[in-house]
Amino acid sequence: MTNLEKYINAFVEALEVPAEDVAALVYGESTAWDSVGHMSLIAALEDAFDIMVDMDDIIDLSSFEKGKEILAKYDVEL
Amino acid sequence: MLLSGKNALITGTARGIGNAMLHVFAREGANIWAFARTPSENFEADCRATADKYGVWIKPVYCDLSDTATIKEAFKQVMADKQPLHILVNNAGRMDEDKMFQMTAEAEMRAIFDTNFFGTMELTRPATRLMARAKQGAVVNVASIAGLDGDSRLDYSASKAALIAATKKLAREMISLGIRVNAIAPGLTDTALVKDLSEKVEAEQLEKVLMHRKAQPEEIAEVAAFMASDRASYVTGQVWRVDGGIL
Repeated sequence: MTNLEKYINAFVEALEVPAEDVAALVYGESTAWDSVGHMSLIAALEDAFDIMVDMDDIIDLSSFEKGKEILAKYDVEL
Repeated sequence: MLLSGKNALITGTARGIGNAMLHVFAREGANIWAFARTPSENFEADCRATADKYGVWIKPVYCDLSDTATIKEAFKQVMADKQPLHILVNNAGRMDEDKMFQMTAEAEMRAIFDTNFFGTMELTRPATRLMARAKQGAVVNVASIAGLDGDSRLDYSASKAALIAATKKLAREMISLGIRVNAIAPGLTDTALVKDLSEKVEAEQLEKVLMHRKAQPEEIAEVAAFMASDRASYVTGQVWRVDGGIL
């Protein structure tokens, strides 16, 4: 599985949304990505890429695209 | 065994209640990341001997809960083991000599809160995320009857009250992730923390206790082990007084 596939899969599993929907996701704009879903998503990303996300980045991770930028800080290339 | 196959992170394990927890949790089959503040060969020998005795692994990890950087580094060591985390026991705490509020400097109050509340929360944050990966876990916060009754110095009592409030809020937030969060509230316990109490103060405190004696650390640890175990699977958001009967 590529890193991009792992990234998409984290959204699919944590937020229980179809893979084709994840690219348009924005935090707080759907019932799937609420605060509880956000914590599941962070846990899934940490698990998938074996990283420990800083508090500021947890707050900043507000969209699918923003998440890519944040993961780059942890040397995860998508 | 109550905790067979579970991995537990326990803070403040070098002495007192935390050290009793180290022994009780290991006896019940738990593997342990044993957090302590100060590196010590005696402590590491204790960990090795206890692990050998009960056939579990115990890894000493050093961390000062008043220092965010060391918390982060310590938790990285836990992550590096690539093991699931099932249990977090936030036991480490600080209590300085008893004194009146008007005699307590702001810096002292902040130092108490840094360890008893903020540091504890800083560790709880990544720990519960690690638990969330498996959608299961149990957190046991070691508060104090002082957090319920306000019968110790103000900053200590208030920090434990904050921990109790956090327990209830975390229980609400974490249940959807399969994590139970509870607290125990020990009364007067026979540890170094209370050794400095004068005989008069100790006698006054024990007068209120139906059993008229202090708890042994093991008596607190046994309750924590139960709260952390699957036998308490329908218990969350609760504060269990372990105080010998103060009614």
